[in-house]
Formats: sequence, C-alpha cells, structure tokens
Amino acid sequence: MPFCSPPAHPDASQEVPAVGVKVENLVKNFGSLSVLKNVSFEVKPGEIFVLMGPSGSGKSVLLRHVVGLERATSGRVMIEGHDAAVEETRQHVCIGLVFQAGALFNSLSVYDNLALYLREHRVGSEAEIKTKVLHALKILSLENTAKKFPSDLSGGMKKRVAIARSLVMEPQLLLYDEPTSELDPVMAATISEIIASLRDQYRVTSIVVSHDRDLALNIADRIGLLMNGELIMVGTPAELKASQDPRIVDFLHPKFDLHNPRFKKLET
Amino acid sequence: MNNSQQSVRVGFFFLLGVALIWVTFETLSGGHFFEDRGYKLIAGFDDLKELKTGDEVRMAGVKIGTVEKTQLNESLTSAGGAPDTAHAASAILRIGSKIKITKDASAAIVQSGLLGNNYLAVTAGTVSQPLLKDGDEIATTVTPDFNSIMKDIGDLGHKLDGALSNLSSAFNGDGKDGGLFQKLDRMVTENRDKVNATMSNLQEITTKVNQGQGTLGKLINDPDLHDQLLAAVGEIKDTAAQAKVFVTDAQGVIDQVKTGKGALGTIIYDQQTADNIKASIQNVRDVSDKLAKGQGTLGKLINDDSLYNTAQNTLNKADRAIDGLNDSGPITAVGIAANALF
Amino acid sequence: MKQLRNICDGVGSVLALLVRSVGYAGTLPLQLGRFIEQCYLIGYTTLPIVAILSFFIGSVLALQAGYSMQDFGAKSFIGSLVGLSMARELGPMMVSILLAGRVGSAITAELASMKVYQEIDALETMNIPPARMLVMPRLAAVIVMMPVLTIIANLVGWFGGAFVSSHVKFIDIDSSTYFGALRHYTKFKDVANGLIKAEVFGFVVVLVCCSIGLRTRGGPREIGASVTRAVVTSLIMILVLDYFLTQVLLLISPS
Repeated sequence: MPFCSPPAHPDASQEVPAVGVKVENLVKNFGSLSVLKNVSFEVKPGEIFVLMGPSGSGKSVLLRHVVGLERATSGRVMIEGHDAAVEETRQHVCIGLVFQAGALFNSLSVYDNLALYLREHRVGSEAEIKTKVLHALKILSLENTAKKFPSDLSGGMKKRVAIARSLVMEPQLLLYDEPTSELDPVMAATISEIIASLRDQYRVTSIVVSHDRDLALNIADRIGLLMNGELIMVGTPAELKASQDPRIVDFLHPKFDLHNPRFKKLET
Repeated sequence: MNNSQQSVRVGFFFLLGVALIWVTFETLSGGHFFEDRGYKLIAGFDDLKELKTGDEVRMAGVKIGTVEKTQLNESLTSAGGAPDTAHAASAILRIGSKIKITKDASAAIVQSGLLGNNYLAVTAGTVSQPLLKDGDEIATTVTPDFNSIMKDIGDLGHKLDGALSNLSSAFNGDGKDGGLFQKLDRMVTENRDKVNATMSNLQEITTKVNQGQGTLGKLINDPDLHDQLLAAVGEIKDTAAQAKVFVTDAQGVIDQVKTGKGALGTIIYDQQTADNIKASIQNVRDVSDKLAKGQGTLGKLINDDSLYNTAQNTLNKADRAIDGLNDSGPITAVGIAANALF
Repeated sequence: MKQLRNICDGVGSVLALLVRSVGYAGTLPLQLGRFIEQCYLIGYTTLPIVAILSFFIGSVLALQAGYSMQDFGAKSFIGSLVGLSMARELGPMMVSILLAGRVGSAITAELASMKVYQEIDALETMNIPPARMLVMPRLAAVIVMMPVLTIIANLVGWFGGAFVSSHVKFIDIDSSTYFGALRHYTKFKDVANGLIKAEVFGFVVVLVCCSIGLRTRGGPREIGASVTRAVVTSLIMILVLDYFLTQVLLLISPS
C-alpha cells in the first residue's frame, strides 16, 4: 500500500518524527544549460530552511529534485537515508509540495482536492476523511470554501488551499515553492505566519523556496542563497544580514539607481 | 448531474449496446446458440458446382436448413469406402427438426442468380412415403447449370462452324482446284454452243408437239387417248419402281467411280477417255441434230405418231432416274466426276 | 533526424504508458466512479453525433451505390454493399474518427492543461500515478463503450441506407429487398470483425491522446499544439492500423 509510514496525525499532542534532508553534490544540466552546479547543503529535522535567490537561479529545480520530479545529472538528494530519486522513497517518507501556482485540481472542488489523496490511498472511511479534511481547512481558516472550485478562489486562498492539501497528507517534509509570490504584502505575511505556525505545531521540516526577503529573514532558521546554480552561502538570518559579500548585500538591499540601471550594465 | 443518474445512463447505454449486438447476431447468423440442431442428411452429387458451406436448403422456396459441410467422398479414391454413396462429392445438410422430408424427395442444386448464388432445392415427396431420418441419404437430381448450358452452346457453335466451312469449301473449292460451282460453270461455258443447239432442237420438238404433230402432239391434243394414257401411267409406275432399283445400282457404281474402281472410274480418271467422252458428246449433238431432222430411229420416233407410247415411257423413266439421283447425293457424285473430267 | 527521434520517443512513451496503465487494471473496482464518468463521456455523450453521422454515411452509400448500379440492374445488391461496408469498414472507422475528434481532443486538452498547471506533478508528489488515476479508467471505458457505439453506428447506417433505397425515386428498392440482400451477404462474422477493429482503434486513440497530453511541456500555448498533434496522430494511427488490421483479420478469418 503506497502510503506514508509511519502514519502521523496533524495533532499538537503527537510528535511528528521530522526528517532531515541532505543534498549531495547535486548537478543538473538541461542540455548544454547548466542549472545546478555542484550544490551541497543539509536541512536538519524540524527546521525551516529558506532557499533564496534571484529568479532563474535554479531554486525550483532543486526543489523538484527533492520530491523526485526531476532526475539529477549527478549527485543526489537523501531524505532520512533514502534517495529522493527512487520511487519507493515517497512511500517511506511523506513529502508535501505546495506549488507556486497552487496546482489545485481545477475539475474538483476544494473539499475533493483535499480528500483526493486520502481517498486514493484508502485512509479510513469517508467519515474519517471528512473529519481530516475539515480539520485541515479549519487550520487555514478555509471552512467556507469547501464547496467552491479553485477557479472561484483568490490567489491567497489558492495558496492556502494548496497548503491545506499538503497538510492533509500529514507530511514529514513540507516544501513550499514561492508561497508568497504574486500576493500583496499583508497576505504574504499571513502565509509566512502560517508556515511558521505549522512548523511550531507539528515540527514538520520545511524547505521554502522564495525570493521574499521579509519571509526569509522573519521565519527562517537558516537561509541558503542560490545564485546562477551555485550555493554562495548558508547561514542564519543574522549571519546573512551581517554578510559583506557584495552579491548578498545587493540581493538583500538592491539600490535603485535610475541613472545607471542594472540591465544596461549587463549588456556591456 | 449526480453520480447515480450518470451510472443509470451508462448502464442503460451499455445494456442497449449488448442487446443490439445480440439482435444483430441473431438476425445475421440465424442464432446458432438456441437453434435446435435439427437432423443431418447427406446429398451426394458428382459435382457440387458452387454450393458451399452455409448455403440455404429450401423446399418450395422456403428455407428449411443449411449446408453444413461439403466434402469429397473417399469411396472413390479408396476402394471399399463408404458404401452409401457412389457420388464424387457430398453435401452434409442440417435440416430443421420440424421439417419432414420423405424418402422419395430429391435434392438439386439451383442457381438463384447469374452471380453464382446457389441453394439446394428439395422437392416435396409424397405424403405416404416414410420419412428420412438423421444420417440418411437423400436422392439427388442433376440440373444443368448455367455453365454447362453455355458450354453446350459453345460446342454446338463450334460444330456448326466446322460444317459450314466444309460446305463452303465444297462449293467454292479449297484453293487448289475450284469447287463444285466453278466446275459446273466451266462445264456450262465450255459446252455452251452444244447446249444451245440442244435447247433449240428441244424447242423445235416441243413446237411440233404443240401443233399436234406426231404421236406426242396427238397425245396431248386428242382426248380419246386419255384412257389409254392412264393405263400407260400404271405401267410407267411399275417401270419407275424398276428404275429405282437401277438407281441404287447406279449408286454403287458411283461409289466405285469415287474410289477410281471399275470401268467408269478408269474412264473418268483417264485423260484419254475424257477426250473420248468429249467426242461422244459431239456425237450426241450430231444425233440430236439428226433427231430434229427426223433422221434415224429417234428422229422417226419424234416425227412418227405410232411411237409416242414408247417415247413417253422413256421420258418418265428418265425423270424417275434423275429424281433417284437427286435423292442419293448426286452433288458429290457429280462433283467427283466433274473434278476428274475437267 | 530530430523528427525520427521524436517519433521514436513518442512511440516509446505510448508503450510505456500502456504497460503502466495495464499494470493498474486491478485497481479498476476502486475507481468505479471515474470509470462510469468516462463511460458517460466516451459513450453516452458521443452517441448523438455517431448516430447522425452514421445515418448519413449509410444514406450516401446507398445513394452512390444506387446511382452506379442502376445502369446494370444490380440495384438489389445495395443492401449487401451498405451492410458489408458499414459493418466491416465504415462503422468502426467513423466511430473511431469521431472518438478522436470529440473525446480524444478533450482528453488531450484536459491532461495537457493538468500537466501545464502542474496538477500532474501534484499527483505525483501525492504518490498517485497519473497512469492509474487518469489513463486506466479511460482505457477501460473505451473498451466497454466502443462496441456499443459501433453496433449502433452499423444499425443506424443500415437503416439510413434502407431509408434512401426506398424513398429515392431512381433507386426505389423496398426495405424487404434491401434487408434481404443485406442479410444474405452480411454475416455476423463481418460485424464482429468491425467490432474488433473499433475496439483496437478506440483503445489506440485514447492511449495516444493520453500520452500526448501527459507529455505536454511548456506554457498554455502548448495545450493547443498538443491537442492538434493528438488528433492528427490519432487519425493517422486509425488509417494505418486499419490497413494492417484488415490484413490480419482476413488472415485469421478468411471469408
């Protein structure tokens, strides 16, 4: 039975055995294009690791390696000692991925979106499934959306439903792909709070891919900075702020120089 | 649309499909599943023609069964095989169990269309006869099929063609030497003068006859002589019968002539004799000239009344003789004679 | 060279998808709801267009046959012509083409958009193989629905031919003659032949459309491109397969 084991319950009273992730010398090429160049880092069980970097630096690709959607050119990703590229790994370790655009099933209602995983894996009766789904919706204050379809939801709501859908899986490892992009600052802050509170409640290991500076500095235990496929630093938010590396300084505090814009510099 | 409604529609749709397939099967294949197997009959034929498995068996045009199998009988190839049939091939028929066929019924292969669509027609027997049972052999009749009729017509045409070309070569010759007509033509041309003379003499004779001159003239113009004539005709008939016998003899002679045997044969096939004959024909002309002038015995006959009876007889005999010649294929005889003569 | 590579890649992924989907056949009882839904979409909703088209195909067949046969007095064979050609060739062929256009395009569009909007990826992270949840129920549904659609197409086509034969002045063959000729020359074997063909065509169409949908890469624009490719590939597959399948069927069951 392909189902996460050991079965965990999203309940504060139970401790979720959180898992650690180890990325070892990961290299990924798309044809001649080198996306990831020998990336290595470690995520400790129960921490929030924020992977930052400018657009196109390979953050999302790295995340897809962790869930096994991409095959590495060389190197590997180990989750609690299991290779992420192997199909069986997902039966040993339950991984939830919150997609950038939500990736909700458009043909299903919010309730069915959440229930799909449980139904497919035959987790209990329909009544038990209902309890679990409503519980997950309640955590994210989505009780009123159960009967709605994804197309009727706002961007923030979609992200929350996506998080709720991952939560229903009772994951040991939760991955967020750009959870705050395309959201207004308040909604972005709300999502950040949700990520933090979920970790606090369930001790789930979280990897967040984002270029949202506020999110990273406020909720991350550690931050990795990825630029052009290379991990240029890993450290706590305080270490990041204290860094004197011009690339990091420019990334965290970009200067607006209207008389000498960056895109013109790149041309030369 | 809720789920149960969808299930109902899909279920109905599927059952409809199954039902339609079933109906199609029943209609097209006559439903072999529930059909009673009926009973088996064997129909032996020397030639099954285009009868094949699955063809219908009909009685009075109504389908009563199907041809289950067609097979070559082994009794022909292996001595002492199945004794029940002397035919080269036989068709195993499957007849509906409700159909009763009597022992005197017979089966025939019938073509229902020019496109070669055969069925086996079974004629109804008489009611009093015992019924045929499973495995019995049914009597068969051979019907000419379209193909054999066409073949016969073809043969006939072939023969006709051959006969016509033979005839044609007999009349027109085969290139080497002329046919009958050319020969006759040549004979007539070469002897035109003689024939003309003979004809004018004959005209002279008939003129005299018309004028009542001589015995012949009197015969025609004198009613008193009628009775005598009748009596004479009776005699003529007898003589004619004798003449027929003569003609049959003549036939034999002609046959000998054909093969070049006997006197006539040598005469005809010998150039010298042919010349002699030409001379004889010249003599005949001289004789007829003399006849016209009343010279000699014949001349006297014509010019002398008292000899009319004898003349009459002779003429009649000649007529009969010619008729007889006509009857017995004179063309061939003349043809052969002419061929040798000219 | 690149084209050839693409074709081989396509064939390979279709076969891989086939193997994976067939491997999940055992889960069909657990997915009865999806199976029924696909049966509804593939069979029930396709019925009206199948009926309309096959009626007119049968009619046109009869009309053309009547026109060309009237000169040599073979009009009574219209029934056999329509019966045989509908059962052996046009019925299954037409249903498959309609399936490719109506159902196949919809399948590809749906799967391609799921792929483009990462729904497929989401399924995979949930440990739900798309082959099991999206492909297998469709394949099962098409297997069940194809014979039903085809037999309806055949019968409607036959009746269309009968209607034209009896109502068009220059043909004027009454229905009993028409169906007599039809029954005389069309055996259930011919119909079964057609049903087998339809089964294979339908299965291939759905499989190819699923595969192309799942292989879509890039943005929303690619959805349209995938649908076009799926329909064109399906049509080519139907016609090419038809030839070889006919050969094989003739070999297996000669008349």
